[in-house]
Amino acid sequence: MTSFNLKKITSNDPDLTFAILLSALVFAFFSIYEPLFFNINTGFAIMERFAVLGLVGLALTLCIIAGEIDLSIGSNAALSAVIVVRLTDSIGAPNAILIALAVATSIGLIQGFFIAYLKVRAIVLTVGTLMLLRGITLFAADEKTVMLTDFDIPDFIQEKMFYIFSPASFLVLGIFVLVALFMRYTKYGREVYAIGGARKEAVASGVSLKRPMMIVFAISGLCAGIGGAIIGLRSGTAQPLGLQYLLLAATVAAFIGGVSVLGGKGGVVGAFVGVLTVNFLNTGLVFNVTPAYIAQMYMGGLLLVVILFQNMSKVYEDKQQRQLKLADTDSFRQRLLKSFKV
Amino acid sequence: MSAAADSKRSPGAGQSTAIAILNQNGLNIFLAIIALVFIGFAITTHNYLTLFNIKTIVRDAALVGIMGIGLTFVTLSGNFFLLSMKETAALCIITFATSMSHDFGFVISLAGAVAVAMISGGLQGLLIGRGGNPIVVTLGAAGILYGIASWWSDNLVISFRRPNDAEWLGTGSVMGIPNITITFIVIAIIAELVLRKTSFGRQVYLIGANRAAGKATGHENRSMAIKVCMIASVCCAIVAVAFSAQMSSAQANYFSSEFGSSGDFTILVIATVMVAGNSIMGGYGSTLRTSLGAVFISAVDNMMVLQGYNSGPRVLSVGLMIVFSILVFAYIRRDNRSEG
Amino acid sequence: MTNAPWLELKGIQRHFGSIKALKGVDIQINRGEVLGLVGENGAGKSTLMKIMSGFDSGFTGEVFVDGRAVELGSPNKAQALGIAIAQQELSLIPTLSVAENIFLGGNHGPTIASLSTLSKLARPFLDEVGLNDIDPKMRVHRLSVGESHLVEVARLVAHNPQLLILDEPTAALSETDSERILNMVNRLKENGKSVIYVSHRLDEIFKIADRVTVLRDGASQATKQASELDVPNLVTLMLGRELSDMFPPKNLQRQGTTAYTFSDLWPDGLLSPITFNVKNGEILGLAGQLGSGAGEILAAIAGSHPVRGGQITDMSSGQSFLPKSSKVAITYGIAYCSPDRKHDGLFLGRPISENLTSPNLKRISDKGIINNSKSDRVSADIAESFTIDPNRLPHEASVLSGGNQQKVALGKWLSINPGLMLVDEPTRGVDVGARAEIYQKLAELAESGVSIIIASTDLLEISELPSRVLTFYKGALTSELEGSKVNTENILKEITKPESFLQLAGEAS
Repeated sequence: MTSFNLKKITSNDPDLTFAILLSALVFAFFSIYEPLFFNINTGFAIMERFAVLGLVGLALTLCIIAGEIDLSIGSNAALSAVIVVRLTDSIGAPNAILIALAVATSIGLIQGFFIAYLKVRAIVLTVGTLMLLRGITLFAADEKTVMLTDFDIPDFIQEKMFYIFSPASFLVLGIFVLVALFMRYTKYGREVYAIGGARKEAVASGVSLKRPMMIVFAISGLCAGIGGAIIGLRSGTAQPLGLQYLLLAATVAAFIGGVSVLGGKGGVVGAFVGVLTVNFLNTGLVFNVTPAYIAQMYMGGLLLVVILFQNMSKVYEDKQQRQLKLADTDSFRQRLLKSFKV
Repeated sequence: MSAAADSKRSPGAGQSTAIAILNQNGLNIFLAIIALVFIGFAITTHNYLTLFNIKTIVRDAALVGIMGIGLTFVTLSGNFFLLSMKETAALCIITFATSMSHDFGFVISLAGAVAVAMISGGLQGLLIGRGGNPIVVTLGAAGILYGIASWWSDNLVISFRRPNDAEWLGTGSVMGIPNITITFIVIAIIAELVLRKTSFGRQVYLIGANRAAGKATGHENRSMAIKVCMIASVCCAIVAVAFSAQMSSAQANYFSSEFGSSGDFTILVIATVMVAGNSIMGGYGSTLRTSLGAVFISAVDNMMVLQGYNSGPRVLSVGLMIVFSILVFAYIRRDNRSEG
Repeated sequence: MTNAPWLELKGIQRHFGSIKALKGVDIQINRGEVLGLVGENGAGKSTLMKIMSGFDSGFTGEVFVDGRAVELGSPNKAQALGIAIAQQELSLIPTLSVAENIFLGGNHGPTIASLSTLSKLARPFLDEVGLNDIDPKMRVHRLSVGESHLVEVARLVAHNPQLLILDEPTAALSETDSERILNMVNRLKENGKSVIYVSHRLDEIFKIADRVTVLRDGASQATKQASELDVPNLVTLMLGRELSDMFPPKNLQRQGTTAYTFSDLWPDGLLSPITFNVKNGEILGLAGQLGSGAGEILAAIAGSHPVRGGQITDMSSGQSFLPKSSKVAITYGIAYCSPDRKHDGLFLGRPISENLTSPNLKRISDKGIINNSKSDRVSADIAESFTIDPNRLPHEASVLSGGNQQKVALGKWLSINPGLMLVDEPTRGVDVGARAEIYQKLAELAESGVSIIIASTDLLEISELPSRVLTFYKGALTSELEGSKVNTENILKEITKPESFLQLAGEAS
């Protein structure tokens, strides 16, 4: 239904173009400098990372598009991981996963409810829920790292498929496609863009805040849940205070993908490219035997570079707008002068 | 005199006076209820209302309180909050300990830590003042600052000899009150005075209340953001120095997961500012509130420890307090917010 | 088709505490008719429209739709009854496409559809408002202001209403775009719809309306066929004789010295640089509709609007400058009140006393420490001078009425002892009583030597308060009026259908 015209995309969507270029740049850089980078096993590792970061990045992208942010996403994922790991031994992996997802999604729905109905800003509420969920997770894990007793159970999610994929990454790619279709082709998806980009106007047009807000946060909760479940099963352990690094990584991914702090901009494709870029960087740094804290430093730096770029392009755009307006004024003046000479 | 109908705060038709009073004084009533509930628990907990315990409570609140006071300036001026506080503290503590371990003495080491804080705070404030979103800017800065701190110290512990001239801050006391507590109280008093009585403090409130109106009357956020970020960062430096003085050592991850039971110092500080009732949008609140908020959270945590709870329930209850107070304040202030 | 009007409002009254915003309004509109609604600032137009579109249910009076009594309880109800309103502020989402905007909010669009499908569905509505050449897939932020307004109406039309209320639809538009709006209104009328057209632009009212209802001071003054009226009659009905008492007598005898000269000032939006001056103790008026350049000049002098060049010279000190920000303007003693006090004229959550002292903290402090007695004195003095109840000084500014808020927004500038005071829309959203007080105060200020320049779209105000008026039309200066030539008739003509463009005259010949 929609044409995939490359030229149209680059002119219509400079942010996406920038993201793709950046992604290609990072990939090329590591491919050249790290001899082991450009091979299938690395690809698999990247896609495995993608599974978790992709979910969180997607969720965060949706929240930021809607003009909010979910700071508690890491805590939600950690809770999910703990639930899955603790319960798998007793009731089996599939049931444990279901329960974890149900909990995570409900948490998202409740937050969405408060944000929509009590008009609390997400940035404020999620600071509180971040801590609240940590407390619950500590409680659920009895203050310690939980482990599976049978580490073979979850191997199925790591089976290699088609060289670089696994059931986990396939699932996540499928979710990306579903959410992309939702955002592009349904009324509810458009409402999310509306309340983000121009909230006052959206409300004035009769868009209810409640529905898109709850949808976005429910998706966020669900994604956190799936992500946590995947991590828990994959490593067989879960730390109650873990997964905090996801927030910075997902935020960088979202911004590379083209979201704006003002909301209303960005999309699923951008999120995909952003997450890939961050993954290239992370994996590449691992090859370089870079310690985690240095990787965080690059992430932080990358984030600042991206927003600086966004800021500069906005300044440039504003300048262009002004020039256009001035040209309009000048041409109007010419027309008026001509009409006098008659 | 024009027959102006002012005061939307008078009761509308059909509202009883009780509800009207509730709406007008909601905040204070809420705080009063909290105080009462708290006193109830306090009386029933063994060993709680002793001088020693109270001193412990205030001392435990000191570090979070000092950072909270610094952050309050940022919040009041309408610049939300900084997500880079514990990382700033990490860099400052490494600076301080490195200097102490080279025997430069307390004063120089303190100056070094403060200088680092002012530079990192100033740079973040510069970006924020020019239009950067505080959350995103400080999230990025956090990664960078922590990276520098870890890299500089090779992620190792830096110790300095005892005795040293920083010990008075860490473990010393005057008339039975720990010096760290005195520092907290002094900073709290100075901060409140600055906010209430100086034109700088007035500017903080004005810019926070309405940035556009502030600009129109000659008060720009461009310079204010730099100043408040520096203040907040310097408070981080003080906390870092105090903590290092206590331990006579430093490591980049001192302020990370292991610090306190809650696992995230930055969040705890932000929570303190919010639980105390400062408006996240700026223009309303005070550092006095934040100081009391820090003491309150510490008091609750202390009570739970005395009653034998583990870190899980303690973190949970802090989280509950935060969420609860956010919801209550949102409800009370719902009239003052525009759509969305 | 019955003879009864489609919508009728009888005896509408709306009080806000002790302020009577509407004292008794009767208004009817028939199918296939365009009704013009006119009235000056404070007449009650916005209040009436909020009521008609269901946004305000706190009124008394009867409402009939098609002869049946109805309750206009909420915007949704009004929409269901077939009443739609296009506000002055656009409510489009700039980052979404035209088609998506048209189907946003409400159930009139499909739940699942691609952009192409939405575009096809949007086409008829776009055609109905005259946007045949717009691609519905285009993002709204790429449209011109005029096109955006038309899309806004297209969105309303998609709900298939019977009555459309258009509030100042051409206020910010160019000539071509205004024409499109007028054509659209005609088209709607031909399709049997009803339109209420609210506007300050009396020339347009005459082009488009079948009948005209005049609101004055909260009551409907008269409803006449447009053919029976002409501009002078209309203006008289709008303004009324007795209201002239609101204004202090003009000081026309004063031969003041020049206080400030503005040389080759070229704010964005003005067709070419302008040179003028203002004298000591003079009230100079800049008259012109929105977008004509009047408001832009004021903002530019204060450093709040981009300029291509120019100089301001303070004749008493000889200094020449061009402020780049309000902060700089204040240091030169220039005070600027924007037309939107809620946005940047007031600190609503802070006490009134803090508002009054906000532009000049130096004056109320010693070496950075606030001196309470100085602060109290300054705010008490300003409060007394602008008749603000001193007992209210510690209260938040948000509790004040519109009129009192405007007094605070204006009064606070006294704290810098301005040499030049610039006011854009001095009495927008202000009740009649407060208006008189504000005019009185402005005249007193001028008397004491302050130069005042006001810009206003309110005809009465701009002809009664200033002693000299510069008129603007579409970014060009059209005339300079003095003495007895300053009257509503001349001003109206010069800002809507000028015969010459003073500013461009030199270039044209």
